[in-house]
Amino acid sequence: MKIRAIAFNTFKEAIRDRILYLILFFAVVCIGFSRLLALLTVGDRVKIIKDVGLASLSLFGALMAIMIGTGLVYKEIEKKTIYTLLSKPIHRFQFLLGKFFGLVLTLFIMLLLMSIIFLGLVFFHTFKVEWQLLIAILFIFLELCLITSVALLFSCFSTPILSSLFTLAFYLIGHTAWGLEILIDKIKTGFGKALAQILYHFLPDLENFNFKTEIVHNLPIPAKIFLYSTLYGIFYTLFVLILALLIFRKRDFI
Amino acid sequence: MPQRYSSEKNFSTLFLVLLLILSCGVFMNLKIATDRIMRKKIPGSSIIYLPKGEYLKFATFGYSSLMADLVYLWAIQYYSDYEIPDRFLYLYHIFTIVSELDPQYFDAYDVGAYIAVYEAQDLELGLKILELGLEENPQEFWFPYIAAHYLQFIDKDHERAQEYYKKTMSIEGCPPIVRRLYADAIFKTTDYQGAWQAWLEIYNTAEDEKIKRVASNHLYNVKATMDIEMLKEAIARYMEKYGRNPADLSKLVYAGFLKSVPKDLDDKEYLYDAQTGEVKTPTIPWKR
Repeated sequence: MKIRAIAFNTFKEAIRDRILYLILFFAVVCIGFSRLLALLTVGDRVKIIKDVGLASLSLFGALMAIMIGTGLVYKEIEKKTIYTLLSKPIHRFQFLLGKFFGLVLTLFIMLLLMSIIFLGLVFFHTFKVEWQLLIAILFIFLELCLITSVALLFSCFSTPILSSLFTLAFYLIGHTAWGLEILIDKIKTGFGKALAQILYHFLPDLENFNFKTEIVHNLPIPAKIFLYSTLYGIFYTLFVLILALLIFRKRDFI
Repeated sequence: MPQRYSSEKNFSTLFLVLLLILSCGVFMNLKIATDRIMRKKIPGSSIIYLPKGEYLKFATFGYSSLMADLVYLWAIQYYSDYEIPDRFLYLYHIFTIVSELDPQYFDAYDVGAYIAVYEAQDLELGLKILELGLEENPQEFWFPYIAAHYLQFIDKDHERAQEYYKKTMSIEGCPPIVRRLYADAIFKTTDYQGAWQAWLEIYNTAEDEKIKRVASNHLYNVKATMDIEMLKEAIARYMEKYGRNPADLSKLVYAGFLKSVPKDLDDKEYLYDAQTGEVKTPTIPWKR
C-alpha cells in the first residue's frame, strides 16, 4: 500500500514535469518526421517509418527515464521532503520501490501515447494494425525499466547532472558491449581474456531487448529468447535496485 | 532496543547482499543462455541507409575523422564475415563514405582495394577505389603503384599496368623499383625496343652496383629474346625452303636469311639444336 501511494505520488509529480512533455513533443515530431524520410527513399517506405518510429520510441523513452529518473531521489533530498517522508513508518525500500514504480508507470503511459501515434502512422501506410510491432515496443519498455533503475541508483548518491551522464554512459555501454565478444576472440588466453569475459557477462547487454530489426524484417525469433531476455531484464533491474537500496540505506538523513 | 534494531539491520543488509550476488549470478547466466540462442540477423541490412559521407560529415560535429575510423573498423569486421554472401555489394559505397569523411585515410583505400581485388575478385572495383585514393591524395605514389601491381601480376594486363607505373613515376618519392617494374611491363607487351630503352636508361642512371647488374641481366634477356625470335623466324623460313633444319646457324647466313649470326650480350654464340631447331642462350640471364 505504501509503495503504491509513493508510486502514485511520484507519477503525479513526474507528469507535472514540463521536460517530459518537451521530450514527448520531440518524440512525436521524430515519429512524424519518419514520414518525410520515407518520401526521400526509393523502395520500402514502411520500413523507414518502422525503423525511425521504433528508434524514436527507444531513444526518447530512454531520455525520459534519464531526465526524470536521475532527479527522483535527489530532489527529495534537496527539498528536504525526504525528512518528512522517512520520519513516517516507511521503510527505505518502500520509498525506493515507490519511486521506481512511479516512474515506470509514467514511462508506460508515455510509451503508450507514442506507440499509439506510431502504430497509427504505420496503419496510415499499410491499412492494417501491425501487432508484431508491440513485441519490439514491449522489450523497449523492459529496457526503459532497467534504465530507470540505473537512473534511480545514481540519483541516490549523485547530483542530477552527474547521474544523467552516468546513466547515459550505461545506456551507451549497454548497446555497444556486444563488441567485447569480438575483442575476446582476438585476445590470447590469459588474464586479459578472462577480464574481458567477466566484463562481457557482467556489463549490461541492452541488445537483448532489441528486436527492432527482426520485427521490421519479419524474421523468425526463437520463442526462448523472449523468456530469457525478459528474465534478464527483471534480474538485472533487481540487481541494480538492490544496489541502490544498499547505498540508500547507508545515507544518513535522520 | 537499539541493539535489536542494529542486529535486524545487519541481518537485512546481509540478506540484501546475498540477494545482490544471487541476482548478479542469475543475470550473468541468463546472458550466457541468450548468447547461445541463434538470432537471425540481416548483417549490414542498414548499409543502404547509411548516408553519403558528405552528408554524414554534418552529423559528426567536427569528428569526421573519428567517424571515418569507426566506419572503417566496422567495415573490416563486416568484410571479414564470410557468412554474408552479398557483402561486397556496397563495398565502394562504404569506402567512399570513409574517403569523404577523411580523404587522407590511406589504409582505407589500400585495404578497400585489397578486399575488392582478392576477396570480391573485382579488379575494376579495386582500381576504382585506388583511383579515388589518388584523386584525394595526388602526392601518394602508393595508389597508382599498387594498381599497376594488381594489373601486372593478377590481370596480366601489362599495357594498363604501364600507364599506372607512369603515373607512379611522376610522383615524387616513388621507389626506384617502379622504373624496373615499368621496364618489365614494357617487355611483357613484347615491345622489345621500348624495353631495351627503358632498361638501358636504368643501367646508365643506376648508382647501385646491384641494380646495374639487374639491369644488365634484363638487357641481356631483352637482346636474347629479340635475337632468338629473329633466329627462329629464319630457321622456319629455312625449313620451308629446304624441308629440314639448318645444320648450324651460319647456314642461315649462307642461305640469305640473315646478314650475320647474332651473338649474345656477352659476345657468346647462342646454343642451337639442329634436331629440334631450338635456340637457347648460352647462359641463364639471371645467373650471369
